[in-house]
Amino acid sequence: MPKKRADISEVLWLQREVLEQLPFNVAVIDRDLDVVDANRSFTERFGEWRGKKCYEVYKKSGCPCDRCNALKTFEDGQSRVTDETGLDQDGRMTHYVVHSAPLRRTPDGPVEYILEMSSDVTETSKWQREYQILFDRVPCYVTVIDQNYRITRANEAFRERFGDAVGEYCYKIYKRRDRTCPNCPAEKTFEDGQAHRSNQVGTSKKGEKTHYHVMTSPLQRGDGRVAHVIEISSDVTDLKKLQDEMIEAERLAAVGQTVAGLAHSVKNILMGLEGGKYIVSLGLKKEDKQLIEQGWEMLERNFDKTTTLVKDFLEFAKGRVPHAVPTDPNQLVNEIIGLYRDVAAQSGVDLRADLDPKIKPAPLDPDGMHTCLTNLVSNALDACAMSEKENAWVEVRTRNEGGALVFEVADNGTGIDYEIKKKIFTTFFTTKGGQGTGLGLLTTRKIVQEHGGKIVVKSRPGEGARFRIELPRERLAGLAKQQSNDDIE
Amino acid sequence: MTKPMNKTVLVVDDEDDVRLFLTTALIEAGFEVAQARDGLEALEIVKKQPPDLISLDLVMPKHSGVRFYHELSKNKKWASIPIIIVTGHARDDLGKADLRELTMSGPGIYLEKPVKPTNYIAAIKKLLCVEVTPEEDEAAETVAIQNELKNLVDGADPATLKKIKELLKGRSND
Repeated sequence: MPKKRADISEVLWLQREVLEQLPFNVAVIDRDLDVVDANRSFTERFGEWRGKKCYEVYKKSGCPCDRCNALKTFEDGQSRVTDETGLDQDGRMTHYVVHSAPLRRTPDGPVEYILEMSSDVTETSKWQREYQILFDRVPCYVTVIDQNYRITRANEAFRERFGDAVGEYCYKIYKRRDRTCPNCPAEKTFEDGQAHRSNQVGTSKKGEKTHYHVMTSPLQRGDGRVAHVIEISSDVTDLKKLQDEMIEAERLAAVGQTVAGLAHSVKNILMGLEGGKYIVSLGLKKEDKQLIEQGWEMLERNFDKTTTLVKDFLEFAKGRVPHAVPTDPNQLVNEIIGLYRDVAAQSGVDLRADLDPKIKPAPLDPDGMHTCLTNLVSNALDACAMSEKENAWVEVRTRNEGGALVFEVADNGTGIDYEIKKKIFTTFFTTKGGQGTGLGLLTTRKIVQEHGGKIVVKSRPGEGARFRIELPRERLAGLAKQQSNDDIE
Repeated sequence: MTKPMNKTVLVVDDEDDVRLFLTTALIEAGFEVAQARDGLEALEIVKKQPPDLISLDLVMPKHSGVRFYHELSKNKKWASIPIIIVTGHARDDLGKADLRELTMSGPGIYLEKPVKPTNYIAAIKKLLCVEVTPEEDEAAETVAIQNELKNLVDGADPATLKKIKELLKGRSND
């Protein structure tokens, strides 16, 4: 028995039901732009349509749209997809994408109706607008770079600063180079798919040096290969200039303090010379040989002090640039412990080390840091000897703390008076009576500052002292890089 | 006026040579002398046997001069002991604040290193109301005038400084 022919009413019902269930808006428009049919989604979105023109329903307007897409399709018979903005039945602005398709009874016949299928993209459109605003309006420079290091997109700040650079190589725009930059963070991001950052020095159109802080991040879908990188740069040239000015101001302040400290030392020596002269004269007048000898010895001591002061000051003052090489902090400390072991033993002081075994090498000037630790250990041993404590000790420590390499020299010696502590790094200060010029701590501070670090002291009278050198590793790395840059130049 | 042989001076300075120098000058002038190397040691001596006058340095280990002076001020009896400051930091950036603190609230005389023995002895004798020789008298007056001039110059405005400069130049030409 042949299959029963489908009932015509069944087919019509089926067509209607399919139309109603579609999740997007469907409308049928005739040549007069009347809406002749529409599905449920359309009605829910745009409201009642029977007996109305399409522009009345879509746009709540009383006249046809300029450059009406439906009329174009009636004319040329071509399908088209367009972005539109209209009002929904509640009067809210709505964004939708419309696909307009011609309907013909015969393949070559005239277009009798237009089928319009639209999807609401209001939310998507909003996010896209906000994204565009974010991209364009962020105050730093944002670019998207392809694997050939060509710029494919650039934000407003970048365009204002560098002009229309789309299609250009990023290294050419930033640095006027003809190849990729050394230590390029974008290159690293393409390689490992991770975010990277670096400080870069560029060249402006006027040929001036510019400083950038650059961050790069991968643009990829899922775990695929990195096809594009987004690069965000901040111009920190002014900040760098301020930092340089601050360093110079600190240097000048140190010069002033050094001169004052020097004057103090000279005055003490002059006092000794004046005293020696006086005592010799007195001895001669009274024919007191012992007094003459005493005065003469005083003169000799202060002549010697003058010589030592001049030598130490020249050592302090010379403008030697630190020469940074990878240095093992623990090895450095062990060398110094070895150097002072016998001296400490003779004084009855327990000289020991407390070293972090996991500490990593860092770019340091080994001679400079050796001088620093030598000065601190020597002072600590003197402090212990002066205190005459029975269980005196000096401990040298290495630590990693908060991104900084830390050296500490601690002792349980005499400690430091508060009034003296205020001046300890700003004067030719010595607690060794007639011994030493007091330049050791000034030299130590100078070397530490040249490494981009700082030295602080904690102490109470009678309770020992703790000198702490903090060297941020970031600055040490900068020291090494600056050195390599200087080498190139 | 009394003779110095009954007066004791405490010399406080961390520099051995400075103490030796000042002590020798004082003994030669007839004073009894005690010595201390720092503020802490000085305080112990004052507790046992308060001196008639204290010669005080500012920057020393184990209690600076300022710290020592503050301890002294807490005791009614000790607070009245006259003090003469002998320092190498009087007018530079490092010592100015300390010196101002002391001179405003306490001892009125200070000498800047290097110190001449005649000036030193004269200043001490003045403070202790001890008879001075004509030479010492002249020296003491000179020191007093120099101190006063220094204070005045410190507080002078630029126009006044110019006048002072012209005046001194005129005198030197004479």
